[in-house]
Amino acid sequence: MPKHLVTLVAQRALLAGVILLLWWIGASRLPSFVLPGPQKVAQALVSLWDSETFALDILTTCRRVLLGFGIATVVGTVLGLALGASRLLARFFEPMLALFNTVSSAIWAIFAIIWFGISDTTTVFVVFMTAMPLILTNVWQGAQTVEAQYVDLARSFHMSPPQILLKIYGPTILPYFFSGARLAFGFGWRVSLVAETIGASNGIGYRLRQAADLVQTDQVFAWTVLLVGLMLVLEGGVLKPLERRLFRWKAFSLSSRPASLQTN
Amino acid sequence: MNLAVSYRSSPYNPGHAVLGMPGIGMAPALAVSGIAKHFGQQTILGGIDLEVRPGEIVALIGPSGCGKSTLLNILSGLLPPDAGHISIGGARTTGFDDWRRVAYMFQEDRLLPWRTVRDNVSFGLEGSAVPRGERRRRTADALRLVGLDGVATAWPHELSGGMRSRAALARSLVVQPAVLLMDEPFSRLDPQTRSQMHDEVLRIQADSGMTVIFVTHDMEEAVVLADRIIRLAPHPGRIVEALEMEDLPRPRIPTEPEVAERIRQLRVRT
Ligand SMILES: Nc1ncnc2c1ncn2[C@@H]1O[C@H](COP(=O)(O)OP(=O)(O)OP(=O)(O)O)[C@@H](O)[C@H]1O
Ligand SMILES: [Mg+2]
Repeated sequence: MPKHLVTLVAQRALLAGVILLLWWIGASRLPSFVLPGPQKVAQALVSLWDSETFALDILTTCRRVLLGFGIATVVGTVLGLALGASRLLARFFEPMLALFNTVSSAIWAIFAIIWFGISDTTTVFVVFMTAMPLILTNVWQGAQTVEAQYVDLARSFHMSPPQILLKIYGPTILPYFFSGARLAFGFGWRVSLVAETIGASNGIGYRLRQAADLVQTDQVFAWTVLLVGLMLVLEGGVLKPLERRLFRWKAFSLSSRPASLQTN
Repeated sequence: MNLAVSYRSSPYNPGHAVLGMPGIGMAPALAVSGIAKHFGQQTILGGIDLEVRPGEIVALIGPSGCGKSTLLNILSGLLPPDAGHISIGGARTTGFDDWRRVAYMFQEDRLLPWRTVRDNVSFGLEGSAVPRGERRRRTADALRLVGLDGVATAWPHELSGGMRSRAALARSLVVQPAVLLMDEPFSRLDPQTRSQMHDEVLRIQADSGMTVIFVTHDMEEAVVLADRIIRLAPHPGRIVEALEMEDLPRPRIPTEPEVAERIRQLRVRT
């Protein structure tokens, strides 16, 4: 193992140790409904794992997030391409985008409750409204960077408009799309929990709220640990390798991915 | 410096289709008459007539802004002229499909950074209905032709300027063009690499018999490569002179007195 990797692992282990220690010291001085200790949370995790609704809750939340995110991807990409293709459209709709980007997800959640009540649609809608503008903005930004020179090159080789879209627009936009989608997925995932606490009768967000209502602080902690673990696995096991593989050709410029807008 | 043109036999022979077209014989590879182009109020090209024989190498020279690139864009079929006709291989063009055997090498190499060298070259064939197997074979042939078979899997940013030029050349050659258009193709290369590229182009042209029309500001390049040098003048862009160079023997080494004298004469005229 290379030396810097050993150092890194050691640093991370130390950090985890320090946090656990502080947690343990804090928990031993505070009542457990305020701060449950590591063992208690571990026990809660095990009982969570054994509970009947556990798998169903996770699957339900994942389904809602993926559905909202999937629709947002399709709509955001199509709209982003349309805005990128037409300056007129872009000028006309630009204020809408500013609007979308300023309205907080919590407000979308409240509207969703009014419009859709306690249902899947509420969470899907909130995820969609959070993710879609991010993807749209990034795809649009990417479409604006497409080089006319490359389009002429493709035309000189007698490529059809769909081929040009696929072979020139696609690869140019992909890095922008990817960083937009990644951000959108992260935000969508987080706001889905918020939406579920008020607009669902199952799913992870609902269980969190239930645990809070019953002052089962150890359960809240258990869910949190689980979610953090899930996101880390997704980031390191799927997104990072995928990005490295997709953008091998960039080699030097990976750090110059487009800055994306903030929401929430 | 090795300026010798080799006439080795090649599996790669784009020229034959033009020469072999029935009933055409030695019809000009490319002929234009009365080509005009305006941008707004400005007349950029005012009536260009030009015939290029199959296998001929023609250099277009002239001051900056006289419309050389515009003329090349029109010859490539990418830019429609406001007036005039274009014939390819003796047949009047009616649509962009008639330009399938005309390749255009732009001034910039325009290698797609997200494709390897090999995939950049095969890009040249992806607009045509060439079966996958044949595409792979022709891509490999084109890479070998320009001496890039060793770096087929490299990314463009890993290549030197000369290699990038070769890759762009291979991408143009992979379509087996009857006519190759080049806009200041090697202007960004250092003199030594540029003269290597001249050798390559001459060798490939001799093997394939393709017609070459190129724009240059470099009089040495014009004299070393061209069978005929065409000089344009601006306002409006027009042909003012055509210099036959076929009497100058090849290979043409710029330091030899006869060649140097032609280069000097050309510089005096412009
Ligand atoms: N798309 C365009 N719209 C308006 N004017 C143009 C356009 N393209 C070229 N021109 C003008 O046409 C004239 C000829 O341009 P062109 O690029 O053909 O010149 P050139 O001879 O290739 O010059 P150089 O040697 O500098 O490359 C220039 O005055 C240029 O400003
Ligand atoms: Mg030019």
